[in-house]
Amino acid sequence: MFDEALRLDDIHLSYRGLVGTAFSKPRALGFFESGLQLGEQELISGANLVVKKGETLCIGGGSGQGKSALLRVIAGLARPTAGKIYVFGEYIPPERLTALEIAKRQVGLVFQNGALISNLRVKDNIALPLRYHKKGSPAEIEEKVKMAMDLMRVRDYADMFPHVLSVGMQKRVAIARSWAMGPQLLLMDEPTAGLDNYNRRNLLPLIDNMRTLFKTTIIIVTHDLMVAKELGCKITFLTKKTLTPPQYFDDWLHGDTEISKELFRDLRNSG
Amino acid sequence: MEAQNDKKLTFIGRKFHALGLFLLRRKAGQEVALFVRAFMSFFSKSRSFKTDSRNIILQTFFTGVEIFPILFVVATLFGTVVIIEVITMMGKMGFDDVVGGVMVVVIIRELGPILTAFLIAGRSGSSLTAYIGGMVIDSEVDALATMGVDPIRYLVMPGLIGGAIATFIMNILFSTSAICAGFVMTKVAIALTGNAINLQLTWDYLSTEILNAMTFTDFIFLVVKPIVFGSIITTNACYQAMNIPRDIRQVPKAVGKSVIQSFFYIVCADVFLSLFYFIDYFNEISKII
Repeated sequence: MFDEALRLDDIHLSYRGLVGTAFSKPRALGFFESGLQLGEQELISGANLVVKKGETLCIGGGSGQGKSALLRVIAGLARPTAGKIYVFGEYIPPERLTALEIAKRQVGLVFQNGALISNLRVKDNIALPLRYHKKGSPAEIEEKVKMAMDLMRVRDYADMFPHVLSVGMQKRVAIARSWAMGPQLLLMDEPTAGLDNYNRRNLLPLIDNMRTLFKTTIIIVTHDLMVAKELGCKITFLTKKTLTPPQYFDDWLHGDTEISKELFRDLRNSG
Repeated sequence: MEAQNDKKLTFIGRKFHALGLFLLRRKAGQEVALFVRAFMSFFSKSRSFKTDSRNIILQTFFTGVEIFPILFVVATLFGTVVIIEVITMMGKMGFDDVVGGVMVVVIIRELGPILTAFLIAGRSGSSLTAYIGGMVIDSEVDALATMGVDPIRYLVMPGLIGGAIATFIMNILFSTSAICAGFVMTKVAIALTGNAINLQLTWDYLSTEILNAMTFTDFIFLVVKPIVFGSIITTNACYQAMNIPRDIRQVPKAVGKSVIQSFFYIVCADVFLSLFYFIDYFNEISKII
């Protein structure tokens, strides 16, 4: 139990949980829960997942299956209708399942579109959470921001606003911003989409470094199954509203299940 | 879940719990909760005097200074009309001794704060809704929360405090410019028309009348009213923005709702605060009788 980074226990999620943000509605009382309403469609029903500390896991699956929604559930942004979530072995009751509570436990999320704060320059974007949480003196923060920018090679764009950068660049800044916070569990939503081959090839060693140097647990939602092969990590698929048991890339490739026939057909044919 | 919690509570606890649920499911209750959370977040652990004061000053500047030109024009014209009408009408009817009182009631006590609040709701409240609403749509608010930055503290709190301060300053400026610039404009109007309205107006007369008519409660309400109105405007604006579903067409709807409901809440709050004066009047009337 104590070497677990994340455990999802029978998670159910309906489309209602994805509507809007929940910050203006008081959630201190956990009594707003009302389970599944009649005739409501479920997006995820009964997903189970265990991720060990320091492990890297890819979540695959066709589009529209709710991969990003699952990531939002883990980050506390969407509220499951039923189920239990344990972060680092600690059970988080539904009334405290907010993004702020999850973020307190050193969980970072990289959004699909980067979600940079549009009125702040790149360097201020990276420094914002560090300044807010008072992680060190101004000089230390500046040092850390520079390091993060060097890692993702966005230092030349430090004084630019996010809207003048390309999508791939924004994503790199977003990864730098998450990295600077030193998360223990990093959730990435499509990190390689929108990146060119060169940057993609540079991103993967970075992820590799993070897990070896900082022992960061990483969960990657991706369409790009080759990421899993190159990182040598397990893949789990979200199909039919539930998660399959995780397996290594090669096991999926040579497996005999429906998923491996469907999704790995091209890879098999190409050898 | 609910049944379990019910068992833990005593009878009175259950009643309070039901009351709390009743209030928090209503929009007004949620807005009050948002206001309290935004205000309390000012004292939270991550406070830093430098950043906070900068954000609040920026918001005050945005809410206050940029609206000043239009506010000045509105106040001047409004003051001119009130001064001319009150002095000519009251003079004709023989109520010369209540001129100051009427002007205090109209400009300083009632319409000044309300017009200021309307102007600020129309300009700053709507832009606050649009700005936070845009952030909600682009999932920037979500990103803030996943970084552990409380959106209520980061976005709502500076707006709330800056808005209240700006409304207070603007209200004082409104009353001042309505009376002073209104007086100047009246003089100009008299000079231009060759005193066709037959008005004998001096600054001495006007200022002594108004100052004599001001009571201690007027000075208190000069501070209380704009702060209440400013808090209502910004809380309502942020509440509307935070509740936008992820749909870009909901932003203009939320902006419209924010402005209209701010008007409504301001008038309600004004009536509520005026109850104080009504009680005051009743006391005075009973004294006379």
